[in-house]
Amino acid sequence: MNAPRGPGNALRRPGNALSRHHAPARYPVLAALIVAAALMVLPFLVVALNAVKSPADYSANGPLSLPEGIHLDGLRDFWQRVDFGRKLFNSALISGSVAVLAALLSVLNAYAIGIGRVRGRPWVLAFFVLANMLPQEALVYPVYYLSKQVGLYDTRLSVIIVFTVIQSAFGTYLLSSVLGAFPKEVIEAARIDGATKWQVLWRVVVPVSRPTIGVLLVFFFIWTWNEFLLPLVMLISNDNQTVSVALGVLQGQRLMDATMTNAAALLGVLPAFCFFLIFQRTLTRGIAMGAVK
Amino acid sequence: MLTARKRTKRTVAVIAAALAASLVMAGCGDGGDEAGDGKSLKLWHYEAPNSAMGIAWKQAIEEFKKSHPGVTVKVEEKGFEQIQKTASMVLNSGDAPDLMEYNKGNATTGLLSKQGLLTDLTPEVTKRGWDKPLSPGVRTTSRYDAQGVMGSGNWYGIPNYAEYTMVFYNKALFDKHHIEVPATFAEFTAALEAFRDKGVTPLASAGAEYPAHQYVYQLALSKADRSWVDAYEQYQGKPDFHDAAWTYGATTFADWVKKGYIAKSSSGAKAEDAGAAFIAGKYPMFFSGSWWFGRFTSEMKDQWGTFPFPGSQLTLGSGGNLWVVPKGAKNKELAYDFIDITMKKGIQNTLGNNGGVPVAADTSAITDPKSKALIKDFTAYADGDGLAFYPDWPVPGFYDVLVSETQKLITGSAGPDAYLDALKKAYDAGAPKG
Repeated sequence: MNAPRGPGNALRRPGNALSRHHAPARYPVLAALIVAAALMVLPFLVVALNAVKSPADYSANGPLSLPEGIHLDGLRDFWQRVDFGRKLFNSALISGSVAVLAALLSVLNAYAIGIGRVRGRPWVLAFFVLANMLPQEALVYPVYYLSKQVGLYDTRLSVIIVFTVIQSAFGTYLLSSVLGAFPKEVIEAARIDGATKWQVLWRVVVPVSRPTIGVLLVFFFIWTWNEFLLPLVMLISNDNQTVSVALGVLQGQRLMDATMTNAAALLGVLPAFCFFLIFQRTLTRGIAMGAVK
Repeated sequence: MLTARKRTKRTVAVIAAALAASLVMAGCGDGGDEAGDGKSLKLWHYEAPNSAMGIAWKQAIEEFKKSHPGVTVKVEEKGFEQIQKTASMVLNSGDAPDLMEYNKGNATTGLLSKQGLLTDLTPEVTKRGWDKPLSPGVRTTSRYDAQGVMGSGNWYGIPNYAEYTMVFYNKALFDKHHIEVPATFAEFTAALEAFRDKGVTPLASAGAEYPAHQYVYQLALSKADRSWVDAYEQYQGKPDFHDAAWTYGATTFADWVKKGYIAKSSSGAKAEDAGAAFIAGKYPMFFSGSWWFGRFTSEMKDQWGTFPFPGSQLTLGSGGNLWVVPKGAKNKELAYDFIDITMKKGIQNTLGNNGGVPVAADTSAITDPKSKALIKDFTAYADGDGLAFYPDWPVPGFYDVLVSETQKLITGSAGPDAYLDALKKAYDAGAPKG
């Protein structure tokens, strides 16, 4: 391959022998990655394509054709029909509160389990894993009756409480094992300097594990955003509903409005997608940290 | 270090403040407790705003507001799935609506009535005469006995509209291939053959959902009578799955697939695929329900029309979804008033003019010729007691059996006899004994 030598090639000179050795292996990997990325993006593309089609266009040409023209009525109609701004606010409120509260709870739990080394630690952890594996269908009725008892049925607060507990079960499990490997010398040094347990937590442990906590925050937010079953059951009035529940309005008994469903899916995915893009660096940093340790 | 600590502290404070604020906001705004002061009507339904029901009910709400000044109407459009999944929980709580659209049938309205979650509407029905315009077939789905089985007992729901099946046909394709629109069953099969000979599969179908077994049931119905339907649907007598009607239905359907009237490849198709293919002009005919009418009207480019399935006194169909009044409703009087308005001619005519099948319309007020034909054909069935419900009704879970067995019939992995044996087995296992 006698490719013209660009500045990039010149820079790589010193390692030339090595890179030449690796080059043939790189291209298949690159190709495989491109194919994989395309496969990942494809569903989003199909959704975006169909979101801007008119229903007649969709029926006539099927889901995979290019739209005949940009038809934004589906997006606009859906926005107005379900009062989407309000649903966005509800989802952001619930997901945001859950992310912060669950991360906080996870830190407190994990501090006790991972660093405090309370007795029966493996059992406590096993319990958290179990709680994490419990299917949500099993929770529906207990949660319904309990929230009715305390007058929280059909409030956003009930969903926030439930998901804070569910998410922090996972958070506790993960963070406990991370903190279990926390260098003891650092904590001992802080104690010798006269720090109380509370101070050790907030001034030593939390700042050091901030990347991991950041990852938890992002995951909790996105997971809660995508939750469907419990919000569907708990938030019955339209004013309290979340984005993912609002998408269900379009699924009719016998008919579905394919283009509007796509428009709605696009609107539903976009916020979580943007959120992910913004916090993507936090994520990679946090995960890389864990890998080095 | 100091500044960093200060910043952390400030961040924590900001987060804490935001949290406190959000919790306060999340806590309030549940507002479910408007007492029964006759000042508000809470109404839930799951019809799209551009559907016949959506349009008619919007008008009904306007009329209700006019006749009830000072009453606020709180309408919430729900998802079908949400109502199905959460109805019993909602009705059991203090947040139940005053009036709700709900699915007819033993597993839905029947079950709720059995659990005591619905108001018995019988006194209002007699007082306001809601039963008068409803034909016997339509009434069936409104009444449920103590076991929650439809057909007799108290009134628990009122339907505004009905639904039934017919043949939708594409005029442009009939013209293009110089084929006459059939009026008798012989002409119908002749048309099927003519299309097949020109390389066009005549009937759109979908094996993965209801369309395929609705063909089978309709074919069986063309050799059946009312007592056959009553035996099958309402357990009045023991249905025989190897009688003339069922045998005819299964063998004819298998025969049509073999002859190429129905595509073998349709075994995995969904109803949406069949409907979209019909809209796109890929098939000249599609036997299905009136629920497609509005969609074909708004989306189909080719000229199209409908005719009743030829050579049959009976067809699939029933009353539509019901208005039910939850037991815990706080403003029942207002709910009754609203139902009353939806049964009046004005709303019923709006339903009819937008592609619905009204139960009490004034036929002369329906202007669109296609809608006129739709309602006229329905009236003929209703007057002749020709609504035979749906094949999956009698037994819980029967829908899935029908779908998978009919798929086998399409692919040829089961013959008509084996098919009917499988249906009989599932029916006997699930039907109430006695």
